[in-house]
Amino acid sequence: MNCEDLKPLMMALLDGELPPEQREKLESHLATCESCRQELAEFIAMKEKLAMVKFREPSDDELDRYWKSIYNRVERGMGWVLFSLGAIILLCYGSFKLIEEIIRDPKIALILKIGVVALIFGVVILFVSLLRERLAVRKADMYSKEIKR
Amino acid sequence: MIVKEYTGRAIGAAFLLLGNYADALDASQDAFVRAWRNIRRFDGKGTFYTWYSAILRNTCISRLRRRPRNRPVQLANDYPGPESISDPGVLAERNERIDRIWQAVLELSTKHREIIVMSHFQQMSYKQIACVLKVPIGTVMSRLYNARKTLRAKLACDRP
Repeated sequence: MNCEDLKPLMMALLDGELPPEQREKLESHLATCESCRQELAEFIAMKEKLAMVKFREPSDDELDRYWKSIYNRVERGMGWVLFSLGAIILLCYGSFKLIEEIIRDPKIALILKIGVVALIFGVVILFVSLLRERLAVRKADMYSKEIKR
Repeated sequence: MIVKEYTGRAIGAAFLLLGNYADALDASQDAFVRAWRNIRRFDGKGTFYTWYSAILRNTCISRLRRRPRNRPVQLANDYPGPESISDPGVLAERNERIDRIWQAVLELSTKHREIIVMSHFQQMSYKQIACVLKVPIGTVMSRLYNARKTLRAKLACDRP
């Protein structure tokens, strides 16, 4: 194996994730290769530098604000789901009743009845089509499924 | 709640991916909401934080993808403006040396930055990183090597 093949293993050695058998192989290479030894020393120094950077833990007040905002989002999300569900049920029921009324009303001209029914069916077809398209896009876009792993 | 312990790490990781504190707060909160809504999908095989990291990472990547191409994460132009490294709430302590490291990390490509963030700042194991990125452990090692090599070059350039 040449230096290039062993370089990824150097990372595992640096992070303490190298299995013993590979460690032995890498260490025997390092014993004879000055440039790899040098590179490993530079990576060790860089790792030490990076270790100086630490994320700050938020204060209790910040934590409270942060989590309150999360709870609000969850609450609003549930609100929107219920609102949308209710709106869809009402719209469907209303449309059904409207079509029923129009068809049963003898005073309304036939052409008007056909027009209203076509309009309502058109809206339904457009809605279903858009929904289908959105679902197809979601399936194709790996980043739309943040949760799935 | 135990997940509250992850807040600092989550905001910091999101900040390093997005380069903007307000976006980082929003993305990390969004990821917690997604995690809560989909908690049934958490199989309990790994830690909650690994699972959450995958959600956070994908949330940040989605946001980066929605950004205009001419709006890179690199912050050199507005450093240390109100939305950049001087933001409070991310770093435990700051000095010139730490700021240089911070900025060098932000200048990396998304692919390199995310693996550096996971390995160095979120202290994730190779197995956990492989699980989040959905790649073999060998790929984690070689990607980490390339990312560290680029970062080393950037830090060497910045050396006074």
